[in-house]
Amino acid sequence: CLATPPLTPTPTQIDDQPPADAAAERRRRKRRLRVEPPLSRGPAPQRAPGAPRPASNPNAPKIPEPASVLSGKRLDLHRRILTLIRENDLDEAALLTRHSIYSNCRPTVFTCNAVLAALLRQARYADLLSLHRFVTQASVAPTVATYNLLLQAYCDCRRPDVALEHFRLLLKDDSPVLPSPTTYRILARSLAENGKLDQALELKDGMLERGLIAPDTQVYAFIMGGFVNAGDGDKAVSLFEEIKEKLGGESILDGVVYGNLMKGYFLKGMEKEAMDCYAEVLGEGSKVRFGAVSYNMVLDALGRNGRLDDALNLFDRMCMEHDPPRTITVNLGSFNVMVDAYCRAERFQDAIEVFGKMAEKKCAPDALSYNNLIDWLGKNKLVGEAEGLYKEMEERGVNPDEYTYVLLIESCFKVDRVEDAVAYFNKMFDAGLRPNANAFNKVIDGLVKVDRLSEAQGFFDMMPEKEVKPNIASYELLLKAYIDAARLDDAIKVAKCILLDESVVFSDETKALLEEALDKEGRNGQMTKLYEDVEMEKAEAAARAAEEKARAEALAKEEEERKKAEAKAKEEAAARASRA
Amino acid sequence: AAASLCAMVSSPAAPAPNDVTLLTVLSACADSPSSPLASPLALTLHARALKLFPSHLLLSTCLARFYLASRLPHLALQLFDSMPVRSVVTYNTMISGLMRNGLVDAAFEVFDGMPGPDKVSWTALIDGFVKNGRHDEAIDCFRAMLLDGVETDYITLVAVVSACAEVGALGLGMWVHRLVLRQRLERNVRVANSLIDMYARCGQVNLAAQVFRSIRKRTVVSWNSMIVGFAANGRCTDAIELFEEMRRQGFKPDAVTLTGVLTACSHAGLTEHGLRYYDLMTTEYGVAARMEHYGCVVDLLGRAGRLDEAMHVVETMPMRPNEVVLGALLAGCRTHGNLDMAEQMMQHLFELDPQGDANYVLLSNIYAAVGKWDGAGKVRSLMKARGVKKRPGHSTVEIDGDVHEFVSGDQSHPLAGEIGQMLGLLWHEMTRYGCDVHGGSSFDGD
Amino acid sequence: PPHQQAPPPPDPVAGPGELMGLCREGRVKDAVELLSKGARTDLDTFYELAATCSNPKLLEELRKVHDFFLRSPFRGDLRVNNMLLAMYAKCAAMPHARRTFDNMPDRDMDSWHIMIDGYSVNGLGDEALRLFELMKECMAPTSQTYLLVLNACANSEAIEEALLYFDAMSRDHGIEPGVEHYVGIIEVLGKSGHLNEALEFIEKLPFEPNAMVWESLLNLARMNGDIDLEDRAEELLVSLDPSKANPKKLPTPPPKRRLGINMLDGRNKLVEYRLPPKIEKKVVNEQRYVPDTRYVLHDIDQEAKEQALLYHSERLAIAYGLISTPARTPLRIIKNLRICGDCHNAIKIMSRIVGRELIVRDNKRFHHFKDGKCSCGDYW
Repeated sequence: CLATPPLTPTPTQIDDQPPADAAAERRRRKRRLRVEPPLSRGPAPQRAPGAPRPASNPNAPKIPEPASVLSGKRLDLHRRILTLIRENDLDEAALLTRHSIYSNCRPTVFTCNAVLAALLRQARYADLLSLHRFVTQASVAPTVATYNLLLQAYCDCRRPDVALEHFRLLLKDDSPVLPSPTTYRILARSLAENGKLDQALELKDGMLERGLIAPDTQVYAFIMGGFVNAGDGDKAVSLFEEIKEKLGGESILDGVVYGNLMKGYFLKGMEKEAMDCYAEVLGEGSKVRFGAVSYNMVLDALGRNGRLDDALNLFDRMCMEHDPPRTITVNLGSFNVMVDAYCRAERFQDAIEVFGKMAEKKCAPDALSYNNLIDWLGKNKLVGEAEGLYKEMEERGVNPDEYTYVLLIESCFKVDRVEDAVAYFNKMFDAGLRPNANAFNKVIDGLVKVDRLSEAQGFFDMMPEKEVKPNIASYELLLKAYIDAARLDDAIKVAKCILLDESVVFSDETKALLEEALDKEGRNGQMTKLYEDVEMEKAEAAARAAEEKARAEALAKEEEERKKAEAKAKEEAAARASRA
Repeated sequence: AAASLCAMVSSPAAPAPNDVTLLTVLSACADSPSSPLASPLALTLHARALKLFPSHLLLSTCLARFYLASRLPHLALQLFDSMPVRSVVTYNTMISGLMRNGLVDAAFEVFDGMPGPDKVSWTALIDGFVKNGRHDEAIDCFRAMLLDGVETDYITLVAVVSACAEVGALGLGMWVHRLVLRQRLERNVRVANSLIDMYARCGQVNLAAQVFRSIRKRTVVSWNSMIVGFAANGRCTDAIELFEEMRRQGFKPDAVTLTGVLTACSHAGLTEHGLRYYDLMTTEYGVAARMEHYGCVVDLLGRAGRLDEAMHVVETMPMRPNEVVLGALLAGCRTHGNLDMAEQMMQHLFELDPQGDANYVLLSNIYAAVGKWDGAGKVRSLMKARGVKKRPGHSTVEIDGDVHEFVSGDQSHPLAGEIGQMLGLLWHEMTRYGCDVHGGSSFDGD
Repeated sequence: PPHQQAPPPPDPVAGPGELMGLCREGRVKDAVELLSKGARTDLDTFYELAATCSNPKLLEELRKVHDFFLRSPFRGDLRVNNMLLAMYAKCAAMPHARRTFDNMPDRDMDSWHIMIDGYSVNGLGDEALRLFELMKECMAPTSQTYLLVLNACANSEAIEEALLYFDAMSRDHGIEPGVEHYVGIIEVLGKSGHLNEALEFIEKLPFEPNAMVWESLLNLARMNGDIDLEDRAEELLVSLDPSKANPKKLPTPPPKRRLGINMLDGRNKLVEYRLPPKIEKKVVNEQRYVPDTRYVLHDIDQEAKEQALLYHSERLAIAYGLISTPARTPLRIIKNLRICGDCHNAIKIMSRIVGRELIVRDNKRFHHFKDGKCSCGDYW
């Protein structure tokens, strides 16, 4: 050891503090920082010498590793996994992450986050949750980024309730991780989009009360948007007043809130205030910063409220300012909003034109954008144009989805192109898509309306083969059609199916309709008979199930025999080998 | 030869023997220590030699060699201690002789007191450690030998490779293989055979097969090592195919070969096939059935559930069945849940091998498997009563050339915390194995 | 040296020249050996000796050198003391560095900087900040000090502190923040998982972000695995500094999840018309692991039995093998007894979970476990 005595007394204890203490200390410091004026404090308090060190609890939440661990072998692993992510081999990336847990080079939390982010980006939610569960179990301490990815996954799956449960863990006193502004934004957006406005307000109040992050304009913008969608302009405007006050009454320089504020005014019929706000925040000398997202919000406010000319002006300005890569003021959303604005003003050709200009701004339309425009065109009987877009999709490699086809089917039925509607429906299967009962109902409904009942019945009969369970609407469409066509025998058949299907409930209304029709024909006894038949068939079905079970057992036995035979064959093969 | 020598020496008419004569005679005695004449002759000569040529180096060494060969190591040690001069050969003779007599520590002491050990001394030491089951020390010595800069020869390498095989030190084994190639010893069939055995016993059958294929002149041992290697590693078809190839090439299978083949058949569940080989063993290959062959056949029948036939084999075998044979039958009883026969068997086994813990464990497992928990309890109390302790299991794993050993429930390892955590994680993942792999949650993307 | 000197008479005690030579060859162990045999040294040699001990494997040597240094007349020399601090930091021995630091007769700015940086490089950012508080009582921090402090904040996720220090810089010490200080804040945010917030900070910078800013964001995006942000940062970086273009860059796979702002509330009706996705069962007929406690021959309760199984020697050996070797390399285990049925079952499943081949040799035979199966076909 060091031979000479210390020249000066030791000012601090030099034993290194366990990391748990350090983090606890930091959080205490964080909380203190929020109440005390900054930097007026002296050095951090010392533990009295000789005071017992608090016993470390093995179950205490682990502190995430610092960024400095990403070096050496662990950095090599990180790079290897990033390459796999770029190659889009996410299965291998996730598997290698798992396998590396069982090795002398554990992945860092940064590496785990990278894989989780890649899974989220590819909408592979089940895999994301599975990997998250695994790394948590393997005690890779999560960072706030890990939490944000998990919360985003739940929110994408429209499960903000589950996301909130996980969020609450971050608020616990012993949580080594604190939420970031992004955490609150993810939740606020999802709650607002799912109409859970009370919970969104609660979240916002929590943000203000706890003070873990500063009052955030984006959180407010999302919640304001939620109230606008719910038609509550008052609340939207009052939320704006609130955030303004929370930020010390200064004007808000982040553009994201203004679109929703304008919509709030419009909803309240305060057109002047809305346009004054517009003039102020986008006028000359305004310091408010706008990017594509915030511009789109204002653009949407104008477009939805009959201000097409202003919207066009703003859009021109956005296009002028657009100067990639540095300044991005136009994105795919801008075009979608413009399409909406034009269509709302029934200027469909302009809509198609602006849609076509997307490529100039390096935006590529996705199926969602196409669906939106096809929807507008179809509703307005511009089927030719809609079909043109559909063809364009195929040419540009954007895969139409089930909704695209449903829109086309609806459009064709609208202009009595029944054959084409049916053809589109069939195309879905060729494209490997999996329409559900609602999609089936669309084609059945269309056919019923033009009195092509047997074809409608044909599609209905096709459902089991496509692994689709009919819902009550499917049955009722047919049932009503048969009643209308006075084909009561067929109607009774359908009714029987409804009664036999345990997953649907025969509505009283439809039941009454059928009874009335039967009465009219003087066949009022048939309803009772129908119920009796159903009971009998159910009993038969039960018997069949028992039989089935017996057969399955026999099959299992057969399987065993087969295995035995295989073993024998193996022996013979070996014998052959020895003879050879 | 010894007889005529005896006559010559004891004849009083003969001229007084000179040192060369004595040396020749003693040498003959040392080479055939089992001859009834050798012992008395050598003892007489010892007396005479001491009288005529006290502290004659070669004579003393030769005498020591004789004592060691005649399992009289204490006399050899006495003689060695009294020798004023010793040559390297004396030391080497002592080391290898003492090792052969199982006096490992004494041999090491001699080695330790040696001024300049050469490669023969090191080899004798290493080989001795291996032959006496002290493989770790053999490997340590080999490392020390290399550090000392002593050159190795093929005997050293054969010894080290077999030590590696025993402790499963594949890393070191492969390193020695490279050394073999560097010293161009790969043509040496004994070296090659030891490498085959080493690779096979480290679970690397493909590497073993590579070495096997590269041998130009194979011996029966080469074939045996490979066949047994295939059999032990579950490559049963390969083992049988190789056996047939061996016969096609005109080699005569021996008892070891057939043990390998029968093991392969029993591991693969090839009952009929194994029985055929068993029949052919005596009739065609002329190999007399030994205990291990009976063990294989009983195993073969036991696994196939042909317990009565297995019992018949045990009852009619020419020698008294050992615990391995009975254990195989017991294992068959376990697999097929035949409790009656198992209990009957245990009576035999208790007599034969009252301390064999494995059989108690087996019986207890049989009781447990058929749901007779009280039976399992009985076995436990029986074990307690007879003072049988379950032998502690230990496992080794080689990492970077170092072999680490663990015993069950051991928590003394410096990394016990990490090991425990890893086991906890494995445990957790295993219990939910199969649930997660297909990710069957409701959150799949669209 | 260009001119040849007559070789000095053989010296029984080595001198500074010899020690320096050994240092240059990296033979610091030999040099320390000579020191303990009484070799003569001078100030430069101590400096050189200390500077050679630059990795944790040489900590023992560094301590010995330090020991000799303290016994030498030069022990107060600032330059050598600073070098010792720096090397203790490199050897990940911050307690030693701190003891040295506390005992130094004088300290200069470098001493404080080395200590602060040492703490943060060794993942002790909080300690670094604490030291900074002490430093401010003795001397005024410089622009460089603040860079080190921000780096310490980045390594301990101390975002609030970083922002407060950043404000204090100009207010309390009159140091105007430079681009590197702004980058420092960006790093604090990014390394603490606040990537969006880092981007927002950049958007609000009082100057046009330069290449350094975007390069920092690029690295942070890589660290956090956000490939979209990485691409954007790279695009911006290359637009400012074309020499940074990466010709080997892999293309970015298109995202499946809809990003950006969905301006079409209520129009995204896809889910209404699509069947839920099919769940492909990748594993069929495979049992999850249920401990089979029949194999434990002791009179203990169920939970303890499970524990006993958990600690069977082969499992201990496997666990140790896992944490000691790289992923996916096979492990070979040798057991003296027959492997028990429960372990056999467990190791089968393990081999699949850990993605390795596990080769177990018991006293009867071999088991090659791979991908959830054993070569013995469960017939052993």
